[in-house]
Amino acid sequence: MAAPVHGEVEEITGKYVGVEIEGVTNRVYFEEAGPEDGIPLICQHTAGNHGHEWRHLLADEDITEHYRVIAYDLPFHGKSVPPTSQEWWAEDYMLTEEKFAETIVSIADALELENPVYMGSSIGGNIILQLAHWHPDRFRALIGLECGTYSPGYFLDWFHHPQVNTSEVSAYSCWGLMAPQGPEWARRETMHLYEQGSNGLFRGDLYYYSVDHDYRDKLDEIEPGCPMYVMNGEYDFATDPDDAREVADGIGEMATAIEMKQIGHFPMSENPALFNEYLKPVLDEIRGEDVDVPEVMTPEDVEADLRETTH
Amino acid sequence: MRLNSVLRLILDYRYDSPFSSAVPTNLDRIHMTTTETDIATHEWWERYKEVVNTDPEMKVRGHDHFDENFAVTIGDEQYLIKVDAGMITDIVPNPDMNTDWAVGVEGSQKAWEEFMQENPPAHNNEIIASNYRTAVRGEEDHLRLTGSNKTFFQNLRPIQRSLDLMRVAHNKGGS
Repeated sequence: MAAPVHGEVEEITGKYVGVEIEGVTNRVYFEEAGPEDGIPLICQHTAGNHGHEWRHLLADEDITEHYRVIAYDLPFHGKSVPPTSQEWWAEDYMLTEEKFAETIVSIADALELENPVYMGSSIGGNIILQLAHWHPDRFRALIGLECGTYSPGYFLDWFHHPQVNTSEVSAYSCWGLMAPQGPEWARRETMHLYEQGSNGLFRGDLYYYSVDHDYRDKLDEIEPGCPMYVMNGEYDFATDPDDAREVADGIGEMATAIEMKQIGHFPMSENPALFNEYLKPVLDEIRGEDVDVPEVMTPEDVEADLRETTH
Repeated sequence: MRLNSVLRLILDYRYDSPFSSAVPTNLDRIHMTTTETDIATHEWWERYKEVVNTDPEMKVRGHDHFDENFAVTIGDEQYLIKVDAGMITDIVPNPDMNTDWAVGVEGSQKAWEEFMQENPPAHNNEIIASNYRTAVRGEEDHLRLTGSNKTFFQNLRPIQRSLDLMRVAHNKGGS
């Protein structure tokens, strides 16, 4: 978690790739770390944010020893600017479940990833249901962080209102989604990243999150072709650990629910040291190791020191 | 008439001007006994006011333009937090019709006590979290936002920060 010392260059690299989505070519930015022949692990950011949320995962050598970790920015987010061929400024940005799922699969295709593991949080967690439903054989495993069948209440016009400070409001409407036990620098960094989102992105992504995504009566239609892990944080008020258990119970034996204590809606950025420890047994199991994956994970279990995390 | 109502009438009279004295009175002690907590006593509000008015974050990022009064309702008791230039100027118990505010937060004594714990429990750890569990999930003993949603979102961070600072005033908890 520490900043590199003066002159030290981190191993993380960033590149751009062309990705066709709904017939439009996009210039998509991604960062990666880990061996070229490692198991691809693609990471989806939360609504209105960008791939920098995953910087601590990209820097964890225990994980990049086996996995080629790839964190991308969705089109319009971060360094993935809107497509130059479109008059995007004349319409509201809006993410639908079809477009979201196609985008993720198309990014994996463009990078020629064989049998990748997918992981995402919030909107990125919910979308594992569509990916398992519509693309059951494309992934080696699906990890949904902060995932639920339905997550209403966040598609709000205030997030693009001219008389509202949308930068600060988009961020701090998420402040209480994080567990207070996390290090303050990490929670503040999460807010800092949120404040970088362009006007309308957060709301547009939340159209998917709170309106278009609804699997309350469709879980039994999902026949996953790979293991699914649904990991929800204790402090996530929108999709809590009971919601994770509801998803896993509805899907069946291919899905595992995990409750993460003392963590919230942004595990990878609000408390990266703790989350990485929670994630490691899951990643070990996915790559074939015989490990115990607890149904409830606590800081004591992983011996992470919450307050002494360096940065 | 319930005891709380009687006390409210007395306190209304006692507090026709905002807190002007830091010296506890007999009425303060009665109030503490009635609520069985030290939340929202005279001393408690004075400490809270000082915490907010000396908080560095209330003075940056434009928060020094924060001038929206807001109401706090704890069980049956209501208080108006009067604000100007990012500072609390007055705290008025049982505000009457000469006062004005656009937004407020209300909740049961239990909800507020959980909210003010040093490490608050999940879903009562912050106003939007708590309001979500009330408004979207329909759960009891969580806080609820009242009044103008527009005004609330226009002042979200300073109101949220002001409320989180209740934990600092109460038990030096996290904000």
